[in-house]
Amino acid sequence: MVQLAIRNVSRTLQDNNGQPLEILKDINFQASSGEFISIIGPSGCGKTTLLRLISGLDTPEKGDVTVDGNKVTAPNVSRGYVFQHGSLFPWETIEENISSGLKALNGRNYDKELVQHYIELMGLKGFESSYPHQVSGGMAQRAALARSIVMKPKLLLLDEPMGALDAFTRADVQEVIHQVWQQTKTTMVLVTHDIDEAIYLSTRIIIMTPRPGEIKEIVTNPLDFPRNRTSTEFMDLRKIIQDKLNFY
Amino acid sequence: MSALTTNAEHKKNKKKRELTLKYWKPWSQFWNISGIVIILLALVENISVPSQEDVNNKPYQIFLIVYFLYLSFTTVWGWIFRQGHLRAYSGHFSQLNVSLGILLIVQDLLTEKFSILAQPFFVSFAQIIEQITTDHKLLWDSTVSSTVLWLVSFIVGALIGVVFGLLMGRYRQFNYWAFPYLKVIGIIPAAAWMPLTLVIFPTSYMSEIFLIAFAVWFPVAFMTIGGVQGISSEYFESAKTLGFSEWRIMWKIVIPGSLPSMFIGIFTALGLSFTMLVISEMMGAKVGLGWYINWARGVGNYTQVYAAIVIMAVLFSLIFVISNKFQTYFLRWREQNNH
Repeated sequence: MVQLAIRNVSRTLQDNNGQPLEILKDINFQASSGEFISIIGPSGCGKTTLLRLISGLDTPEKGDVTVDGNKVTAPNVSRGYVFQHGSLFPWETIEENISSGLKALNGRNYDKELVQHYIELMGLKGFESSYPHQVSGGMAQRAALARSIVMKPKLLLLDEPMGALDAFTRADVQEVIHQVWQQTKTTMVLVTHDIDEAIYLSTRIIIMTPRPGEIKEIVTNPLDFPRNRTSTEFMDLRKIIQDKLNFY
Repeated sequence: MSALTTNAEHKKNKKKRELTLKYWKPWSQFWNISGIVIILLALVENISVPSQEDVNNKPYQIFLIVYFLYLSFTTVWGWIFRQGHLRAYSGHFSQLNVSLGILLIVQDLLTEKFSILAQPFFVSFAQIIEQITTDHKLLWDSTVSSTVLWLVSFIVGALIGVVFGLLMGRYRQFNYWAFPYLKVIGIIPAAAWMPLTLVIFPTSYMSEIFLIAFAVWFPVAFMTIGGVQGISSEYFESAKTLGFSEWRIMWKIVIPGSLPSMFIGIFTALGLSFTMLVISEMMGAKVGLGWYINWARGVGNYTQVYAAIVIMAVLFSLIFVISNKFQTYFLRWREQNNH
């Protein structure tokens, strides 16, 4: 069943000199409930802009974004968003951060067990009362992920959440994301520049061209879970995508 | 900081590290004992050298004895227990205590003992302490009155400043209408309004509140605006995707996010508020430390002026320390890596 539909979406922003800059051009794709879509492309191709359009943080000049048939016009709790740097509120503890959306929604009677569940799942036990600057980058990202997922969104948008992490921490956060996706069946859209990450996590991979960003191809990932990064099939798919990303 | 330590361990280590960062001078038997000896010397000097001026040295001698006992106690404590806050503290300040002891001896000799710096404009510390003890009731009342006046005015000024700052920082419309006025009116020194406020306000007390609050309002509002505008847009966007209402964004993002800058404004305002407190009390009041100084000047008793100054030094330092504690508490979430 089609859950997310993007039709003829274009977006033009202004560059530093006030000149119009075409970021996205004629984007069309659909995603079904429970899918894991990765958007991959060279930097500046409008991946993040596309994700912002889906969340409602930004609106397109042309075309529209619909979720379950409803047009997206503003951010909503049903579409979670994890930023590149997590953007945990530095003045709140890890636990306060994770429960902040629930508190906004339900007041003091929020689901504390759900928060505890994700604190444990994310390996944050013992750090509930730490402030974001006191924990590692990986932990902060897992907390940011938990903060969004406790809202039980229909759609979780991930904006390069592992981009600033080192290789070990990155694999660790990828594992957590995969686990959450399998457990909750939440539709996820991940923006990344890491081909391995896209193959490891997603069911479909959208390859974008350099600016103005257009969809070059949508590759369906045939690999079964659990995926092995060193298997031949994985390597083959990696090569295929690598070739498609060679623009110059 | 290792990410592998849990929160409890982390807190304990942090406390220990903060202690050695704050009181960085190592414990030294020599300097601690020197401090005790110097204070003892100051006492012996004060008793044995005859005074040229008319003074009751008893309160000063009691002060020195209490000081001596305090230093002896901390030295023995630190020597026995070898760790903890008191040892770190007294060890760190032992050299300063020595210099203070020398200063006490020198000023005592220069003033009351040999009259090189003579009355009425220069008085010994002993005479100041004597003055404080004889005037203690009036001084206490003045101190209480000044403290209450300061507290009320500062809170009023800071609250108005914070509210204006938050609104101007967050809402463009509000900023458009209010900021030009803030810039022009706020820059006027509060003292310039004094002749007018004395006539406009029905009571001098209200005019004093106005003047002090006015001095506080501007820096607090100005720094709060900057603080709000400096908050990263990612926090606002996160809040929106988490379903925060505008009210909640104000309470959970705008206020805490602007607090660091707000506190800079508050500390700037602190100094200005003390100035305005003294000036406004000198002009219109019939009570308070500023009034006391003005009255003492009128009757030509400069020892009283010194007495009030000493009390102000203690009072304002205390207010400063308490404000600092507030800041440390409210900004406990901030990374402290500037050592």
